Amino acid sequence: MIELTINGKMHRLDADPDMPLLWAIRDLVGLTGTKYGCGVAQCGACTVHVDGVATRSCSIPLESVAGSKVTTIEALGGSHPLQKAWEEMQVPQCGYCQSGQIMSAAALLKDTPKPTDADIDAAMDGNLCRCGTYPRIKAAIKRAAGVAS
Amino acid sequence: MDNHLTQTDITDLSRRAILSGLGGLTVAVALPLPILAQGAPPALPGLGRDAAGANARTGMVTAHVVVKPDGKIVIVSPTTEMGQGTHTAHAAIIADEIGVNFADVSVETAIPADAYRFGGNMGSGGSMGVRRWNDHLRKGAAQARALLIQAAANRWQVDPAGVTLDNGRLTHAASKRSLGIGEVADEAAKLTPPDNPPLRDPATRRYVGKGVPRLDIPAKVRGETVYSMDFRLPGMLYACARLNPVFHGDISTFDAAAALKVKGVRKVVKIQGGVAVVADTVWAAMKGADAVAVSMAPSPQDTISSTALAAAMVEGLGAEQAIPATARGDIDAAFKSAAKTVTADYGVPYICHAPMEVWSCTGLFKDGRLELWAPTQVQDRSRRTAATTIGIDAEAVTVNTLLLGGGFGRRLMDDGIPGAAQVAKDMAGTPVKFFWRREDEFDRGYYRPAQMARLTASLDAKGAVTGMAIRISGPSMRSEFTPGGLKETELDTSSVQDLSTLPYALPNFKLDWARRHVRVTTSPWRAVGATHNAFFLECFIDELAAAAGKDPVAFRRQLLAGNKRALAVIDLVAEKAGWGKTLPKGHAHGIGFFASFGSLSAHVVEASVIDGQPRIHRVTTVLDCGDVVLPDGARSQMEGGVVMALSAGLYEAVTVKDGRAEQRNFDTYRLMRHSEAPPVIDVHFINSGEALGGVGEPGLPPTFPAVANALSAATGKRLRSLPLVEALAV
Repeated sequence: MIELTINGKMHRLDADPDMPLLWAIRDLVGLTGTKYGCGVAQCGACTVHVDGVATRSCSIPLESVAGSKVTTIEALGGSHPLQKAWEEMQVPQCGYCQSGQIMSAAALLKDTPKPTDADIDAAMDGNLCRCGTYPRIKAAIKRAAGVAS
Repeated sequence: MDNHLTQTDITDLSRRAILSGLGGLTVAVALPLPILAQGAPPALPGLGRDAAGANARTGMVTAHVVVKPDGKIVIVSPTTEMGQGTHTAHAAIIADEIGVNFADVSVETAIPADAYRFGGNMGSGGSMGVRRWNDHLRKGAAQARALLIQAAANRWQVDPAGVTLDNGRLTHAASKRSLGIGEVADEAAKLTPPDNPPLRDPATRRYVGKGVPRLDIPAKVRGETVYSMDFRLPGMLYACARLNPVFHGDISTFDAAAALKVKGVRKVVKIQGGVAVVADTVWAAMKGADAVAVSMAPSPQDTISSTALAAAMVEGLGAEQAIPATARGDIDAAFKSAAKTVTADYGVPYICHAPMEVWSCTGLFKDGRLELWAPTQVQDRSRRTAATTIGIDAEAVTVNTLLLGGGFGRRLMDDGIPGAAQVAKDMAGTPVKFFWRREDEFDRGYYRPAQMARLTASLDAKGAVTGMAIRISGPSMRSEFTPGGLKETELDTSSVQDLSTLPYALPNFKLDWARRHVRVTTSPWRAVGATHNAFFLECFIDELAAAAGKDPVAFRRQLLAGNKRALAVIDLVAEKAGWGKTLPKGHAHGIGFFASFGSLSAHVVEASVIDGQPRIHRVTTVLDCGDVVLPDGARSQMEGGVVMALSAGLYEAVTVKDGRAEQRNFDTYRLMRHSEAPPVIDVHFINSGEALGGVGEPGLPPTFPAVANALSAATGKRLRSLPLVEALAV
């Protein structure tokens, strides 16, 4: 049994200790907002917060997050300033990467409420978007942070 | 066998292009359709609910319009939503025409039936989602409105001419009566629709051309969208593929013992190309797939390599024999009398679609019938393939379409369907989600083919182009995409896409193609052959401008003399980009212009090279697609298309060794990242009023030459091959 908190709720999971956190979140807990994209921490589609830090859940085994607090896109609730900005700026196209993009951006704004372009690039470079929504993502982060575009 | 590339679409587009004053565009790949009788235009599908097949239900007024009792509208769309916003566009078109509030409209993708087929097939591609369906959906919506008005008139026993429909309410002003459309939907559905219903005045539109928020976005920012991997059925199991990574390869024998020892693994099933490991969870299925001992079946593809292919393509550039595409004027005479002749060779590699969503498909086989839930662009092709694979009738297969986590042409291939169907049949009665991993998505990629070109042109003493010859050399996309659909002596029109009918005045012109095929899997990649041909041509045009001592924009204007529509595009992009103005030190502008998918597009890229790495500072882009249905959606498509094409042009390449891709994940296949994207993409539209052209694809082709021309200008070194980071490093 591995214990961890996901979105404020304690879960006891009977799972392989080497199961990546991603699959525990999706298949054992049933939260599917967090996506599989590459399995090797190269695309960021699986980004969640582990104890407040943006983490690629596809490449972190369950046993190493035992006792941690995990936050997924579902916990943002839809009214998070980033989600509002994402809607206002009409950011997503196919949308598959956007949970991960928003979770990376949320971690950035928590630590750096008024990010510069360089801060945004550094925080977001691990999140790929094949539809090419990067310019709108950057603009949406700035809008949510209240910094000038 | 399916023939998904058609003469019909080419004819259709050429007709469109002639109407729009372009003089005929050759588009190699549009919608997947069967080959029809030569010259016979595909009949438009029926609009009535009798053509709606399994989509028919209570309140369905016409095949695309369901009116709920509360007056809300469900639109049954014939297209797959891949993120381009076509469902939102369809909703806007229909909401405007019927007269309902956009907030009351939702959209679902049709289950294949005649009303949603064009030329016998349901599918989405060729930037056709709006332009093909616009008039048809509008007519259907007008029929729905006429039926609702008639139903209300019948109930009130008044003349329908006195009944109006606005904001979802039917009103008879003379008697001051009104009711919601939901109250008469059932009665309306029983009436016979008029053949030629009156259309609303476009001036009354509230949504089309004005902009509405995309219907799919709220769920996407909340993580609530159900993509294929998220779709669940009670008692569902997961099946992870283990495939031979060699193109068209298979597994000859396997030993399941070790896999079956993995906790949660139920079974190992032989499928096309390998095996699938069925398990309780995704993770157990993956571990099981790794544990299966497999022997790869040897195949002729085992020896394919990019280096050998490159040698064959180079040989093809100078070969005596080639398959002719276009010849006009007297090219030999033009070359003989030239004051100057310029020739240059270009090349592009295989590139992968790499949608962020990896392939998966859920299947349930029960009582001799198969139901699939698939992220597909080709519903009927998938249906037939599933049926053939497991030996049942196509009528016994139901295909449900989920929202796609990216398509870009990759989901025009049905190669992920057989495995899903085979596993479902083997596990009859139990729903199973069959899935690949990212490595399979790369191994099993159906790439944009590698291609090379040799361009030769003659200039007169004044620097005007008097003749041009283009030889394309390389593998055939269509031979892989539609196996058996193209003879070896036949022209693959995607290899020469859009070059036969360039808007440039080239009276002496010769275009041919040397087929140098290897069985590396290929399919249409967003904008298809235009991605390489725009690069070849427009970089060469810059070389000719340099040889003539002319400015690239002025040189193009001269070649486009008299073509007002094209000149307007060039002039606007040059003006908005500040062409000719002084740029920061080290920065340079490059232009690219190309007509594809019925639209004209030009970009100016401002770029520099810093520490050997290209930097893109700004992209100015212009699109003339006739008219814009959803302005912000079109803007979004242009921005995204530019980024995707910059990514491919700067960084992307699949190389082949021992019959397989050397790049298997994003650690070796480089996509553009946030910090590399241009900070500014300045998008402009020209509403020329010409026939509707595509939006999803036409913005990509000119990006490739625009960035190459900018980097060539910035470095003083002519870059003739992609990816540009490699060309810069040489």
